Amino acid sequence: MSTVKIEAYASALFEIAQADGTLALVEDELFRVARAFESNEQLRNTLSDSTIPADRRQQVAEQLLGAKASNTTTQLVSLVVGSGQVRDLPAIVDSLVKRASSEKQQEVAEVRSAVALSDDQKTRLAAALTKVTGKPVNLKVVIDPSVLGGLVAVVGDEVIDDTVRTRLDQLKTRI
Amino acid sequence: MINRFGVLLASEDPTITHHWLLPETAEIVYGGLASVIVIGALVKFAGPMIKKSFNARTEKIQKELDDAAGAKVTADSDAKNIRAALGDIAGERARMLAEADTQAAAVLNEGRVRITAEVAELEAKAEADLNSARGRSSDELRAEISLLASIATPAVVQATLNDQTKNELIESFISSVGAGR
Repeated sequence: MSTVKIEAYASALFEIAQADGTLALVEDELFRVARAFESNEQLRNTLSDSTIPADRRQQVAEQLLGAKASNTTTQLVSLVVGSGQVRDLPAIVDSLVKRASSEKQQEVAEVRSAVALSDDQKTRLAAALTKVTGKPVNLKVVIDPSVLGGLVAVVGDEVIDDTVRTRLDQLKTRI
Repeated sequence: MINRFGVLLASEDPTITHHWLLPETAEIVYGGLASVIVIGALVKFAGPMIKKSFNARTEKIQKELDDAAGAKVTADSDAKNIRAALGDIAGERARMLAEADTQAAAVLNEGRVRITAEVAELEAKAEADLNSARGRSSDELRAEISLLASIATPAVVQATLNDQTKNELIESFISSVGAGR
């Protein structure tokens, strides 16, 4: 899909969430759905399989998200699946998150952790990243067991990596 | 005289000798005549033959003496040639021995140089092989350790990372980022 089309989808989803008054929640849920979609090949293949009828794929997406996400988020994902653009869901969501952050004068900070962060930790981490980047950050936490421990934060072009995985990789390189 | 001779013969007894040593006179006469005749015949008929035979013998002996002298001259000449040849042979032998010694020394020297070079080359090759094998073994060992470490370490680390440790790592990250890293 072209960048223009991705931007168009992102803009549409943004407008719907904003109109619904759940932009912050939807943005956060969509971000997590997009990361799960990226990391799960079976989910990707199922939702993008053109041999499966669109309504059946939408049904699968709604069943998967029904109990875990808000109704608006579920409907938006279903909309993208039904339009046959689900392979571009991560790009669409990233564009949406970026736009939402821009609206709030924030920089998107994607943080990966092996375990969930508490609200207090999120607040302190956002403050710390804000201090480092000089901009308020829109913190997006992704649970990624592959990092083993520690955190890696990506803010714009800057990467702050202090994960056990990276240290192990460095140790392996030294060996 | 014939009578006297007959008388003489008739007057003596033929069975009795007149002397125990000397023959009878007649025998001397007859014998003497016969001897003269025989000797004369011999001188007349056999003498030339004997003389001729002696001359021939003398010539043969002279010839043999001449031949011997010639043979001696030839032998002396041959001996001289042989002595000269012996001298040449000795010189040639000495020359050949000297040449052989020179060639042997050259071959020996060349062999020493070649063997020294080959030994040096073999030593260098062995050293290179040894270093290569050592490096290869070291690399293989390092790769093996690296592989085992890369397999074992994440599993060990993951097993030792409990929730508290993970939480401490998160707090450490927040602190270090907040402190401006």
